[in-house]
Amino acid sequence: MRPVHRLATVAFAASMAFASMAASAHAILIDSSPKANGSVAAGHVPLALKYNSKIDQARSKLVLSGGPGQQDVTLRIAADAGKPSELDSEADLKPGSYVIHWQALALDGHITRGDLPFTVGAAAP
Amino acid sequence: MNLFVDIFGYLSIILHGLVIVAQSMTLGGLSFLLLLLLPLAPSLARGASLERRVLRLTCTAAAGLILAELATTALQVAVLMATVDLPLGNVLQASFAIAGGVKILCAALILAGLNPRTLASRGGRLALLLVGVAELAAATFTTHAYARLDDNALLLAVEGLHQLGAAIWIGAIPAFVLVLHHLDEAQGLRQVGARFSRMSMAGVACILLSGVTMCVFYIGDWSGFYGTAYGVMVGAKIVMFLALLLLGLGNFRVTERLRKGQVAPVLRMRRFAEVEIGIGFTIFFAAASLTSVPPAIDLTADRVSLHEIAERNAPSWPRLSSPDHDSLAISQLQAQLDRDAERHHQVAQAATVPGSGVLPPRNAEDIAWSEYNHHWAGIFVLLIGLLALLGRAGVGWARHWPLLFLVMAAFLLVRSDPEVWPLGQEGWWAAWRDVEVSQHRFFVLLIVLFGAFEWSVRTGRLRSARAALVFPLLVAVGGAMLLTHSHQISNVKDQLLIELTHTPLALSGVAAGWARWLELRLPGRGGRIAGVVWPICFMLTGVILLWYREA
Repeated sequence: MRPVHRLATVAFAASMAFASMAASAHAILIDSSPKANGSVAAGHVPLALKYNSKIDQARSKLVLSGGPGQQDVTLRIAADAGKPSELDSEADLKPGSYVIHWQALALDGHITRGDLPFTVGAAAP
Repeated sequence: MNLFVDIFGYLSIILHGLVIVAQSMTLGGLSFLLLLLLPLAPSLARGASLERRVLRLTCTAAAGLILAELATTALQVAVLMATVDLPLGNVLQASFAIAGGVKILCAALILAGLNPRTLASRGGRLALLLVGVAELAAATFTTHAYARLDDNALLLAVEGLHQLGAAIWIGAIPAFVLVLHHLDEAQGLRQVGARFSRMSMAGVACILLSGVTMCVFYIGDWSGFYGTAYGVMVGAKIVMFLALLLLGLGNFRVTERLRKGQVAPVLRMRRFAEVEIGIGFTIFFAAASLTSVPPAIDLTADRVSLHEIAERNAPSWPRLSSPDHDSLAISQLQAQLDRDAERHHQVAQAATVPGSGVLPPRNAEDIAWSEYNHHWAGIFVLLIGLLALLGRAGVGWARHWPLLFLVMAAFLLVRSDPEVWPLGQEGWWAAWRDVEVSQHRFFVLLIVLFGAFEWSVRTGRLRSARAALVFPLLVAVGGAMLLTHSHQISNVKDQLLIELTHTPLALSGVAAGWARWLELRLPGRGGRIAGVVWPICFMLTGVILLWYREA
């Protein structure tokens, strides 16, 4: 076999080698406030999502959906070099069920997304 | 664009695999030139011609690296721009984009510098080496090491060592095979074989040292090995690494015999090296996939215990009758949505939106449906292996066994994804956004292709020797695909227990493909042994499929 043909065979094998199907999350959510399926009191709520790896905070996204208005709101992420593995934000929340749809860009370039569902109860007296 | 994030994530892993292949071949070719061919060329009868050939191969690899890296970076940039609504200038400042840019620049410099004039000067060779090191350093910035919370510097160095080892050993094998093909003088074979043997050993040492260190930092303990997707994938890489070592040992013995001036099976060394390329590239794609999985050490909850593995794999009779399609969770949900919509005089919502990232519901009937599919696939594959052996033993009609692949492909196309057309409500084209559906369709395409090719070869419709190689190549590719076939199941433990069954299936597929390759390419006893091995691998695959359980 001539080199060009051999290379073509090798390139074909390589291009077909779909050995990489895992869509598993790269950055995983290891802690959060509110907790997943947890509950918080209505009012001004700090939101914090903590990951297992360093996150590019400026290029990640948090979208809050649910609540009385049922509208999607993109949350502003606070840039904090002291907490490289966190996406922090805040929101004024009324009682209801909410979900934070998060998309995190790990520093190594992997994009992961997930949901953080929680409920907001009546404000503390 | 949000509906395409999953499928783009999957594409980016494939592109990443191609980047690793191209990078390893570029750096491997460069090291082969600088450490082996240039010093030996004056004493080889056709040294200048060999140098030109390896130079061309390495240039092609460098061009491939530029294209693959450009594609993977562009894809990531496009996804980020669309989903986070950022301008191009901003996204290009992300670490991965900068690392990608540096890799492209380095590959372009290597491509420009790979010419006889640059290689003739000491300064030119040194510059090429430094650019290679810079490319390798940039590559480590798109690995787990850069995003870890601690020990970044150490882990970056370890990742670099790992990729260096892979390049100077596996990445240089194509150049080695190329040289072996054009080298017919005993003295030259002796010199090249001995020096490449030393290079390979250095590569193996780099891989071993860095691999063990990464196991400590990324896996941590034994339960991380068998209880997480990361650990299982590393286990599969280790098995393939051991297979490479065995083949390498065979080749080492040949080079030793050559060194001692004895008669040695050089053709076997070439064929083994071809198989090493195939298995080595499979490892590269497994490595690309590994970068998308969280390290085992981070997954403290949801690990699978040995007891759970034993319980799941307890023998039971295969499921040969299928549950009704209407009893599946997705069908029931759709029926409910249809009823609600009819009550409110509205258009019914779809129970699933492919690519939305929302995992479909699952009940006991779904599990039975999937087990039924796997068990019938097992019967097909077991029969294929058996008939291939009978065909080999001289039973004439058994040579039509590849037609069973076509029947199996039709079965899988219809049944693999019950929520999709023709059985379900999802449209054929929209379903491509679903990673699992795309994977199933690619499997079906592979099965049709290798079944059709092999049947045409065995019945004399295709007489080309190259056509015969399509079957082993695609079987090996199918095995490699299966290695990381993911299941969209919300329960992490169930997902892993399924992957634990798919890993031996994948390894068996890779072994079958390359054994058949050897049967075709290696005359004599070695080829005959390989000719028995691959049908047995098929039968083993069939038995594992029949053993498969999801609950």
